[in-house]
Amino acid sequence: MEGRFPDRVLPYVLVAPSIIVVLLFLLIPSGEALWQSLSRVNPFTGQATFVGLHNFIVLLSSEEYRHSAGVSVVFTAATVALSLSTALAMALLANQRLRGIGLYRVALIWPYALSPAVAGTIWALLFEPSTGIVTFLLRATVGVAPNWMMNGRLALLVVIVAAAWKLLGYNVVFFLAGLQAVPEELSEAAAVDGAPPWRRFWAVTFPLLSPVTFFLLITNSLYAFFEVFGLIDVITQGGPARATDVLVYKLYRDGFVSINWGLASAQSVLLFVLVAALTILQFRYAGRRVFYS
Amino acid sequence: MRRYGVAVTLIVVFALVIPGGWVQAQGTVKITLWHAMGGARYEAITKGIAEGFNRTYPSYTLEPLFTGSYAETLTKAIAAIRAGNPPHIVQVYEVGTQTMIDSGAIIPVTDLVKPGEINFNDYIDPILKYYTVRGKLYSMPFNSSTAILYYNKDIFRKAGLDPDRPPQTFDELEQMGRQIIRSGAARGAVTLGWPAWIFEQMFAYHNKLYANNENGRTARATKVLFDQPFGVYLASRWAAWAKEGLLVYGGREYAPNRAFLAGEVAMLMQSTSQVSTIERGAQFAVGTAFLPRIPGQPRGKSVIGGASLWVLKGRGRSPAELAAIVALFKYLNQPQQTAQWHKDTGYFPATQSAVKLLEAEGWFATHPNFLTAFKQIQTGPDTGATRGVLLGNFVQIRDITDTMLERVFSGRMTPADAVRVGAEEANKVLTEYNQAYK
Repeated sequence: MEGRFPDRVLPYVLVAPSIIVVLLFLLIPSGEALWQSLSRVNPFTGQATFVGLHNFIVLLSSEEYRHSAGVSVVFTAATVALSLSTALAMALLANQRLRGIGLYRVALIWPYALSPAVAGTIWALLFEPSTGIVTFLLRATVGVAPNWMMNGRLALLVVIVAAAWKLLGYNVVFFLAGLQAVPEELSEAAAVDGAPPWRRFWAVTFPLLSPVTFFLLITNSLYAFFEVFGLIDVITQGGPARATDVLVYKLYRDGFVSINWGLASAQSVLLFVLVAALTILQFRYAGRRVFYS
Repeated sequence: MRRYGVAVTLIVVFALVIPGGWVQAQGTVKITLWHAMGGARYEAITKGIAEGFNRTYPSYTLEPLFTGSYAETLTKAIAAIRAGNPPHIVQVYEVGTQTMIDSGAIIPVTDLVKPGEINFNDYIDPILKYYTVRGKLYSMPFNSSTAILYYNKDIFRKAGLDPDRPPQTFDELEQMGRQIIRSGAARGAVTLGWPAWIFEQMFAYHNKLYANNENGRTARATKVLFDQPFGVYLASRWAAWAKEGLLVYGGREYAPNRAFLAGEVAMLMQSTSQVSTIERGAQFAVGTAFLPRIPGQPRGKSVIGGASLWVLKGRGRSPAELAAIVALFKYLNQPQQTAQWHKDTGYFPATQSAVKLLEAEGWFATHPNFLTAFKQIQTGPDTGATRGVLLGNFVQIRDITDTMLERVFSGRMTPADAVRVGAEEANKVLTEYNQAYK
């Protein structure tokens, strides 16, 4: 279908609203962030004094920032690995012909529909060190329960599990769709050749799922890097002793609690570069192994 | 058609952009108040104060708006100041005091209220002194609190302790705490609400300066002093409590209330603003007492926390608006209003006449827990160390000391190391601040 516009102006008018939105909410603020990252900003007047790369030097030489970067890497890797593997296992289970399978599927997808604040509150309540259900159950069965909020490693574990759970529904939907697109004849043919189920999965199904897996790898990494602010804020506020202080949370603290906009803008610029690099790397290396049928 | 399309788009865009406030009923003078009072305190502001004020002054309308936590309220106010459309009044917590003074965006209360309009000498001395900086009263005292010790009388009884004799010193707290845990009456002895603030309290309570230049009151502070021997000593005592299981860390701000209310911990050091909330939420007899002292240390007194009301300039205020603001301050200053605010929340009755009114009503006799903090803040000398600390970017320094204490409690750093690192970080913040606001 080859449609043609009657003149040259109408197409521009039609895309104008989205251009305006992108300009107002994306490009202009980004430009401002870039400018502020090179300035010291008076929060009350907004007056910016050019300080060159001062903010970046402060950041990169600060141990706190490197610590946050480390936490972010661990958090992202663990969250993505945990969520993808669990989601794949669940999607395989949910891909069977069972009575009431619709219900199971809905239940699996459920967590994705929750807002970060609600999801965070659920996990914070579960692991509350004195009144949480998990704490209570552990005490009832094992006899002791750790103080999740005082032990940095455990607190990090709790937010990783919470973030992975939050992603689960999204991942299950995509894996399920991917699995349903895998032709049954292929698997059957392999079965006829005498391949056991495990081998059928690795040799036939999994390669066919690789585009989906790759897509999820990227979206999940982006989520774990960028969008976990809500969860972290509700569950740990970056604590204890900054054990869960991922980069976005540190940015929030510096920008919105300490009101140091120059420093916070520098962090957002660095984050942008980081994520761009991450995505390019993933397309370069992981992309090669993807098998588009 | 095309031309109409553009027009329609523009109209829609503008309709979305124009704030509703532009189209509003004329006649009354509207003043807005941004505040951070959640829980029982929300009702006290919206129902109690705003409705009462609007009824008393039909020509004025006070519009209170809950804008989240103290930190969020401050951030939103600053964004609004930059945008040129801030609220008339914003409630800022005590750590924002220095920042607000330096902002250039406020009208000091001294400049706004004409002499004789409000009798400021009626205010309880420590409250007035906290918000008076170098002779000028900058903000209107509103919700002032301090930290006290809450304890669970039922747990004390179960542990074989006298429920009417709470610990008065750190040593007693340790002994009683051990007995409580040994007897199985509770899992932990004590937890701290707003840990960094309790840490600050302990300095004033033992007459120790927290920052140089008399706690930042003779000139802007350039260095914190919590890495002095007292700070290290205090951190070590707490570290020992945590190691022994006496101290249960429950998080920052109000989160530790949960462990106390659940009967998991016998004692809680927390703001007086929670008296009402805790008494309502507890299914046990709640006792309150002065903060425990460290034996052998000099006596100071606990310091003011909470928040005050700041008048923002915006792009200039009309005389009618200024009159409305002064009217509100006068209204809040009335003994009945001050007393009611105290009853609803547990914050200090800020004026002497309100205290007299409450005494005449017999309020304290039936609500002894509401009296504890008030007595505590009036016992002890008035020195530079007990007037409260003013620091540039105190909000960030609070976060630094909270983190420092988390390192101490979890044993990730020795108290001496944690305190040294914390002070270094805090000093860096002060240096940056003092460079930015010359």
